[in-house]
Amino acid sequence: MKDSRLPPHPAQRVNRGKPITFTFEGRAIHAYDGETVAAALYAAGVRTFSRSFKYHRPRGLLCVAGRCPNCLMEVDGTPNVRTCIEPARQEMRVRGQHAWPSLERDLFACFDKLDRVLPVGFYYKTFIHPTWLWPTYERVLRRLAGLGRLDIAREPEGHGEHVHLHADLAIVGGGPAGIAAALEAARLGVEVLLIDDGPTLGGHLQWQLLPSEGEQPGYALALNLADLVRGEPRIRHLAGATAFGLYEGRLLGVMQGEHLIKVRAQRIVVATGGFETPLVFQNNDRPGVFLGDGLQRLMTLYGISPGRRALVIANADRGLRLARELLAAGIEVAAVADVRSEPHSADGQHLREAGVPVLSGHTVLEVRGRKRVEAAALVSLDSAERPSPGSEKTVECDLLALATGWEPASALLAQGGARLDYRADLGGFFPAELPSWLFAAGEVRGAQGLGAIQKDGRLAGLKAALSLGAGDARDRALAEALQEDANPPPSIRPIVSVPHPKPKRFVCLCEDVTEKDLADAIQEGFDHIETLKRYTTLTMGPCQGKMCHRASIGICAALTGRDPSQTGTTTARPPLKPVPLGVLAGPHHEPVKLTPIHHLHASLGATWMDMGLWKRPLVYTSVEEECRVVHQGVGLIDVSTLGKLDVKGRDAAQFLDWIHSNRFSDLKAGRVRYRVMLDDAGIILDDGTVARLGEDHFFLTTGSGSLELVEQWLEWWLAGSDRCLHVTDVTGALAAINLAGPKSREVLARLTDLDLSPEALPYLAAVQGTVAGIPVLILRIGFVGELGYEMHFAAEYGDYLWETLREAGREFDILPFGVEAQRVLRLEKLHIIPGHDTDALSNPLEADMAWVVKMDKPDFIGRATLARVKARGLRQRLVGFEMLTPVVPGEGDAVVADGLPVGRVTSAKWSPVLGRAIGMAWVPPDLAVDGGHLQVKCDGQVCRGRVVTKPFYDPEGKRLRS
Amino acid sequence: MWQLFKRERMWTARPLKDRYEVVIIGGGVHGLATAYYLGKLGVRDVAVCEKGYIGSGASGRNTAIIRSNYRTPEGVVFYDESVRLYEELAAELGYNVLFSQQGHLTLAHTDSAVNGLRVRAEVNQLMGVESRLIWPPEIKRLVPAIDVSSRPRYPILAALYHAPGGIIRHDAVVWGYARGADRMGISIHPFTEVIGIGTSNGQVTSVQTTRGTIRAGTVVNATAGFCSTVAKLVGLKLPIVTHPLQAFVTEPLSPFLDKVIVSANLHVYVSQTDRGELVIGSEIDPYSSYSYKSTLPFLEATAAHTLELFPCLRQVRVLRQWTGICDMTPDYSPIMGEVPGLKGFILDVGWGTYGFKAGPVSGKRIAELIVTGNTPDVLKPFSITRFWEGRLAGEKAAAAVSH
Ligand SMILES: Cc1cc2nc3c(=O)[nH]c(=O)nc-3n(C[C@H](O)[C@H](O)[C@H](O)COP(=O)(O)OP(=O)(O)OC[C@H]3O[C@@H](n4cnc5c(N)ncnc54)[C@H](O)[C@@H]3O)c2cc1C
Ligand code: FES
Repeated sequence: MKDSRLPPHPAQRVNRGKPITFTFEGRAIHAYDGETVAAALYAAGVRTFSRSFKYHRPRGLLCVAGRCPNCLMEVDGTPNVRTCIEPARQEMRVRGQHAWPSLERDLFACFDKLDRVLPVGFYYKTFIHPTWLWPTYERVLRRLAGLGRLDIAREPEGHGEHVHLHADLAIVGGGPAGIAAALEAARLGVEVLLIDDGPTLGGHLQWQLLPSEGEQPGYALALNLADLVRGEPRIRHLAGATAFGLYEGRLLGVMQGEHLIKVRAQRIVVATGGFETPLVFQNNDRPGVFLGDGLQRLMTLYGISPGRRALVIANADRGLRLARELLAAGIEVAAVADVRSEPHSADGQHLREAGVPVLSGHTVLEVRGRKRVEAAALVSLDSAERPSPGSEKTVECDLLALATGWEPASALLAQGGARLDYRADLGGFFPAELPSWLFAAGEVRGAQGLGAIQKDGRLAGLKAALSLGAGDARDRALAEALQEDANPPPSIRPIVSVPHPKPKRFVCLCEDVTEKDLADAIQEGFDHIETLKRYTTLTMGPCQGKMCHRASIGICAALTGRDPSQTGTTTARPPLKPVPLGVLAGPHHEPVKLTPIHHLHASLGATWMDMGLWKRPLVYTSVEEECRVVHQGVGLIDVSTLGKLDVKGRDAAQFLDWIHSNRFSDLKAGRVRYRVMLDDAGIILDDGTVARLGEDHFFLTTGSGSLELVEQWLEWWLAGSDRCLHVTDVTGALAAINLAGPKSREVLARLTDLDLSPEALPYLAAVQGTVAGIPVLILRIGFVGELGYEMHFAAEYGDYLWETLREAGREFDILPFGVEAQRVLRLEKLHIIPGHDTDALSNPLEADMAWVVKMDKPDFIGRATLARVKARGLRQRLVGFEMLTPVVPGEGDAVVADGLPVGRVTSAKWSPVLGRAIGMAWVPPDLAVDGGHLQVKCDGQVCRGRVVTKPFYDPEGKRLRS
Repeated sequence: MWQLFKRERMWTARPLKDRYEVVIIGGGVHGLATAYYLGKLGVRDVAVCEKGYIGSGASGRNTAIIRSNYRTPEGVVFYDESVRLYEELAAELGYNVLFSQQGHLTLAHTDSAVNGLRVRAEVNQLMGVESRLIWPPEIKRLVPAIDVSSRPRYPILAALYHAPGGIIRHDAVVWGYARGADRMGISIHPFTEVIGIGTSNGQVTSVQTTRGTIRAGTVVNATAGFCSTVAKLVGLKLPIVTHPLQAFVTEPLSPFLDKVIVSANLHVYVSQTDRGELVIGSEIDPYSSYSYKSTLPFLEATAAHTLELFPCLRQVRVLRQWTGICDMTPDYSPIMGEVPGLKGFILDVGWGTYGFKAGPVSGKRIAELIVTGNTPDVLKPFSITRFWEGRLAGEKAAAAVSH
């Protein structure tokens, strides 16, 4: 096939000096730098770019702007790429999708004959009986569904970043209106961010070969305007950037390549213009049917000759202009069918002079040709928009250029809170009321003609700048003056569809929804635009409704006897353009917290576990050995992961009393007490310890994963109260090590002058002193049930103290122990872990911790519910248990009675020192008696256990206190 | 098959009468199912008043996950009945609701989450519901696209596999019930907002609507996200806070994922519809609001978490996002039944993020309550009095992305 490229022209974006080769379905395609994939394919003779969703009809280029579903292909393994905006690159691999064996010859095309048995919503009405066959039907349906095929073995790299930008004024749209607004606002001294999705500025001017007004052709004017913008230092231009959503807080979501830019602007001007949409007529989806400005882009920007002989269908002046543009590019124009009774612009005269027939009152009835446009039938429409009998004429052509529908790109305005009203004169919805910070300019506001558009842009820029406090009285006067000039009256005959006895008149190209489908759906009662959409899946395909929104409203209005303003629009949901998940996700960092001693654990070969954001050593050597050293000698564990809060102030004691169910106001300085924090429903949120360091000074520890929760909880209850205290998170500043075991006193004594005797430093005492030459807060507490010292000290000394303690303990065979051993040891003592042994229903009374609930103190959070729980009696109890057989139940296994679940195991471990499996479980109160029998379902077997309510190990706590 | 060619109206526009035996407020799945089952029990003098179009609330905005692998025995029994009703629903209504029982996986990424799943597996099995704990190799076999490696920050440790779970075409359920109710003579009134409720001597007597006043002795509040505002019309304060819940869909892809994937730890869930789109959602927004506005932070976070599970989706594009509102109770369980002290006012609310799956069983049992005057056993754990007596139901403990 001969190459169909046009001679070079300054409006083109292509560098013919730089050839490129890529493959399409295995065949080599020659392209030039700057061309899109679709442009190169078109030049190589490809006309079928995709197959339709349901009927597998051939589809060709339509919008050439990335707005329709027609050119979706698989590119380098990525499905659904819009090839008309995808730049051609050397060696890329392009393939058709949703067709077999190839796009050109698709065997599924037989579905096109099945429309009678596949009417809209057919799946709701079929495959109902027999019910057992439905899964098989469903499998078949699924096989046929979807468009592109995803390669699940491929994990594409992500390079995108998330960027925040702030601007006084953001302008979306870099066409003549947006540029005018930007220049005007910048003139008044405002910093402007100009966002446009094209590579270069100028909007639709860029593909105009003829002058709109005056002498200068559109493309040349665009270049001039772009120069003006470049010369204005207050304007920052974001090129190739799509504003895909306007969110609350004046936040614009902008996609630029792989980057997500979050723009927060004080004022926003939307100058997004509009776009052409197709007319509904028989075979309106044949390859060769183009939207007018798509055709212009293909010719002008990429220099591709779209065909031999074009037929132009118009409903407004822009159609006449389109015909002249085609002529200017050297394309033969067979005729222009203008549905209006009289052509209104001078272009009509020009065309006649050039020998192009302009048929007033005519439009297209149908396209002929099996796989592409070969001819079209024109017909004249009467005033009721019905074809007049006998008016049919056939025109041979291979291109149909539509300038028959136009929709303002107003979605951002709608998302920003604008009210859009229907304007019958323009046949569309336009902004009628805007929030004070949001402005609309140009075509999106209904301005017609270059002069009016630019003036409107200027006005918007001026108003936005004035509202930011820029400008002076002269500027205000100018704004008034610009406001007064009225737009020239438009001349449009807004038809959306041309009746025809045959049904292949597509409203929605993505989902193959025809006008007949809409009529059927409305007859079934789906007569509200929102239910119509949901039933027919209209607007829900890859084009997001851009191609069908306007026509569907018109058709729904006509079929229900309402007008479009009563019919309304569907919601303009973000994103306006499909945005890849990778762009939204960005580089995405999941934080990891490491303790200051982490690297030493790593060098000891620890295995790890996640606890909240922390990494913690689970086991170093073996659980048995680690448990043994703690029981018999001495062990040490890194507990830097504990949350640590410094609480200081006159009202600290009273506040801690309010936050906790137990009491702290009577805690003496130099003492530690266990703390439990409840929510208002009396549910256990967290536990830890409180040490009183002075009259108004406390040190709190929280669970490893719950620091954020506790801190927020304290701040929440402090906010707005007049309590005098500060809560400071010192977690990151401090490391902590727990030295535990009967030999721990001897080890510690080697490193400190402090008197460690049980009299001087008894159980639950807190002391600040020097250990190994550094300042340390020592808490004598024992989560693991042996004599122990929890030491908090500056994080910088983490590895120093760890190594020093290990050195000092060498003679006692000191060993580090991990979380797993810690969990066994604490279970032997029946110490709970909130969130592990408790859940969102656990209160301390039922968790067998009544001793931490001081109902006799003034009110505290959770008290009211606990009073009610007391009154109604306990419904479940947390108890210890031991297994009578050597099985360790799974944590989460069910406690059963008569084959039904009545409770659950929360913790279960093998205790080496006891030589049996022990655990904790929630059980009904009647089972919660010492020695009571318990049935636990482990691995499908019911196993027997016995309830134990006292700690298994050292029940009197002698070792702890020693 | 003949249905294919018949163009009958799904429901008829009937005049609003000034008296009905029962008025149901809310034209979502709950209201319409209640109407349908009332009709089946012979009560046909019923009006459903809906302020928007049918299904315009959460029933038209949800992600339609159906499952019964709940944590408490009460919950399991209740939702299991609903799943069974859903299995028969297409045949019952003569309308294909496209119930795709593809199987449902709840992932755990921490050891305590694994324990939580084990609790559910055990309870489910004991209550006769198919549900078991599975490990990464089997997860990978069922879901080839998922990343079960140890590369992610929170690798997948286990999953609860619930074979009867799946997704459904939510609108079809709503329309099917509406059509079924309409065929029995029940009136469906879209664009009819209830703005007042009359009571006298502790008994409901009437409702005022934007189209006129209706006398009725029984009024059902089935308004989900709006239920507190409707309860306020009779001076009742509900222990409910309304939160937004968001979701999005991607472009259609040839189906490659035929299991519903839920990760509570990563706050994300993913399924693929019979049309090929991926439907992706997260948890409720952390603030209370009645707003339908969607947010960008939701998209960012949820996209990131989706990619942790499915790195192959990086270039797959999001087509649209939307928001619904959810009536959250403190214990993630609904409130159903009569309100003591206010005869004739029946609640079917507190459906939060999980109520679509319960439409059939609630409708059926609420209808039974209305007809017999007795509260069916399956509804008893969900009475409003539990909040007054401090005995909450245990579903919040399941701490799942609770759909
Ligand atoms: C994004 C999202 C995802 C979800 N995912 C799932 C899921 O996967 N699985 C699941 O089971 N559940 C899910 N849910 C929850 C589920 O959608 C709801 O719980 C369920 O649809 C509630 O149904 P309903 O009929 O009670 O309420 P709705 O469908 O909300 O119906 C209530 C109706 O009452 C109307 N109304 C309100 N006030 C008045 C008034 N004064 N007068 C007249 N009419 C009134 C409203 O317009 C509304 O249509 C999800 C919800 C959301 C938002
Ligand atoms: S032709 Fe490429 S998106 Fe329309």
